[in-house]
Amino acid sequence: MVTRVKQRMVISRLLQALPILVLATFIVFCLMQLIPGDVAVTLAGENASVERIAEIRQAYGLDQPFFVQYGQWLWQAASGDLGTALLSGEPVAQTIARTFPNTLLVAVYATLLSIVIGVPLGILAATRSGSKLDGGIMGAASLGVALPNFWFGMILVLFFALTLRWFPATGFVSPFEDFSQALWYATLPALALCTNGIAEVARQLRSSLVEIQSSQHVRTLHAKGLSPARILWLHGLKNVSVNLLTVVGLLFNKILAATVVVEAVFAIPGIGSSIVNAVLQGDFPVVQGAVLAMVVTVIVVNLLTDLLCTLLDPRINAS
Amino acid sequence: MNHHDNHYHNDDDDLIINGVPMGRRAFLGMLSGAVAAGTLMSPSWSWAQAGGQATLTVSAPANPSSLDPATGGSGSDHVLLFPMYDTLVNWNPATLSATPGLAQKWSFPDPKTLVLELRPGVTFHDGTPFNAEAVKTNIDRSRTAEFSNIRQDLSSVDHVEVSGEHVVTLHLKNPDSALPLILSDRAGMMVSPKALADNNNRVDRNPVGAGFMRFQKWDDGSEVAMTRYADYNGPNKLAVGAISFKIITDSATRLRSVMSGQAQMAYHLDGRQKQMIERLPTLQGFADPTIYCYQFYMNMARKPLDDVRVRQAINYAVDRETFVRVAMAGAGEPAYMNLPKSHWAYDPETAKLYSHDPDKARALLKEAGHADGIELDLRGYNDQSSVQMQEVLMEQFSKVGIRGRFRTGTIADMSAAYFGQEKAGHMLLSAWTGRPDPSLSYSLLYSGTSYFNAGQVKPPEGFDQALLDSRSSDDQSQRQQALARVQRIVMENALVVPLAFRQSIVATTAQVQGFENNLLGKPKFNNVSLKA
Repeated sequence: MVTRVKQRMVISRLLQALPILVLATFIVFCLMQLIPGDVAVTLAGENASVERIAEIRQAYGLDQPFFVQYGQWLWQAASGDLGTALLSGEPVAQTIARTFPNTLLVAVYATLLSIVIGVPLGILAATRSGSKLDGGIMGAASLGVALPNFWFGMILVLFFALTLRWFPATGFVSPFEDFSQALWYATLPALALCTNGIAEVARQLRSSLVEIQSSQHVRTLHAKGLSPARILWLHGLKNVSVNLLTVVGLLFNKILAATVVVEAVFAIPGIGSSIVNAVLQGDFPVVQGAVLAMVVTVIVVNLLTDLLCTLLDPRINAS
Repeated sequence: MNHHDNHYHNDDDDLIINGVPMGRRAFLGMLSGAVAAGTLMSPSWSWAQAGGQATLTVSAPANPSSLDPATGGSGSDHVLLFPMYDTLVNWNPATLSATPGLAQKWSFPDPKTLVLELRPGVTFHDGTPFNAEAVKTNIDRSRTAEFSNIRQDLSSVDHVEVSGEHVVTLHLKNPDSALPLILSDRAGMMVSPKALADNNNRVDRNPVGAGFMRFQKWDDGSEVAMTRYADYNGPNKLAVGAISFKIITDSATRLRSVMSGQAQMAYHLDGRQKQMIERLPTLQGFADPTIYCYQFYMNMARKPLDDVRVRQAINYAVDRETFVRVAMAGAGEPAYMNLPKSHWAYDPETAKLYSHDPDKARALLKEAGHADGIELDLRGYNDQSSVQMQEVLMEQFSKVGIRGRFRTGTIADMSAAYFGQEKAGHMLLSAWTGRPDPSLSYSLLYSGTSYFNAGQVKPPEGFDQALLDSRSSDDQSQRQQALARVQRIVMENALVVPLAFRQSIVATTAQVQGFENNLLGKPKFNNVSLKA
């Protein structure tokens, strides 16, 4: 049921996204200029002479003024051409198509794990708030927030891959090639990434539920004679679902960013490692294209979250 | 730049927990029905099958810059290029002296003419015959094409003449006996002329050579895959059906890929990982010297380094044995000149010039008018391994009255500041990756106009002549003598502070047979097979 109000909301949000995209790519382009090192020197090879470097700079348009370079990139991108990698010559669109699904799979997997594990923990803690169990869960959650995921990833590899040999230690299989195999490879990375997510979901859910349970409206329901279980499932969770959804939306974006580090630990050919390598080598078309893909994803996820929120809570729509 | 290989260092430390593997099947049996049954049950764990059809999976440290030998720029490309492109000349893995390749014989009828006799019956992967015409096409492309990165390597070639179906003559502008070894590197990698004609003269992403492996696919930053070339007739004992290079930049992750059995081999590992490999009974470790040399570059245009006694004092101040033991976890060879012991042009006399002698260092400084010691502006890189080296060296310097402070930054940043316009710092702690022919290294490092001679100071009397002599004779023992003279001049005048040669550290599973390291530090796989 897409009402006209919602249609208008989607369109206006998409229009708002355009300047964000331009600004984000512009900022990244500026930052790339600040990084020391020169891609022309890398391109010129091991016996590079000063003349050869100058030649390459000219051939790749690297001698052009900053705004001209950015303008050219933007114009091409607007017409759907993201260019090719300066160093390897692979079309950037192809790089994104090959690597981004891997990153998305890990990020979605980690988000789902966060929900599947975090929600029951949050409910348990909320329904027994103040108990030892609550203390234990919240303590573990604090630990979960504090765990650096690259370190946790290495511990997982040592234990589950090198010692027990249940999961592969490194590498990845594209989800388009073999989905079950891809999930198998994605399990340890997703586990490494989801600790923060589980902790955040559990904590947010607990505090929202505790707040609702002490509200007047729940007290009335109790007075009406409803069982605590019914109150929790029917009224409690429905009321916190908007909160939860917002948390999950933000969480996904956070996990997406965190994959950069975990990809290095597990040698996953994802978009994060593409960005890192491209930044180190000054390969700006790859950086620009990959950042664009990430920003678009974040914008779309935020939009979807908002849309779902309006479905769950009609009051948001009215305002 | 020549210091990019430092990227291989990383700060991760691995912990090893040895235990009895449970086996994936047992685990899956346990899991099935309980958790995500369908998804985890997939059958194909990537263990390599043994025998001639097996795939050799190799963990490689870097995405290639290009798979076209003439357009690439990175020293780490060679490992991926060698299997696909046979070179005109080969080298002995232990000494790097020239041996026959696609050219089964070569000779210099006069110092300005090089005649190559080619091996008959060779075809490129696309079926194109390999002959003198193909060599001419390749050499002319590499030395003239606007996009070529190796024009400099072939600058002594005037023109190439096809003298027969399998005979090529290179007419030179000046005597250049370094050419055979230059033809063992990028410039000697032969590309199919037909592939060049069909692809606008470049094969960056669709290489076609005459090597024992033919290109299958390249996914950037992820994998380069090759399959065996059935019609290959060169000498090799290779017994694998395919090679898959998985690109894993982090060296700890590279080693883990072999420990878990997902790859059979990982190369360019860290010195610190050597001991770990030795402790793991399931792995084979290889650690052999390379020509990659850690050294101090000196800006001799700046005081007090313009005084030869000061430069000599610094060379006497360094305790190289301790440096290797402490800063490189023992995985190196102390360097007393620019070549390691096993190299064909190593000169034992030159290597005796500097022993660790703090008294002599202090005396030389005093003689140069620095009785109170000297203060130096030192530059270096900021990765953990480099910082460790700096600490060890500062400690050694402090004992003879050399004071100073290291300023550190990224490789790109620090190298540009030191060698480029700014000319920042007295000395830079960095490395020289080496070249196939030593004469190239010497001319790039010390010639008056070279980029790597930061002070652009003219080399000492006799250097240029000795270097010319080393390139004008094709007799190896005569070349050796001339190169010894070059090296002696370099070290007597202390134009550099060589510290240590890096080892090539490779880990393989027990399945891998026939692997051998080489002095260039760029593994070749010609004789590798996989045991059941």
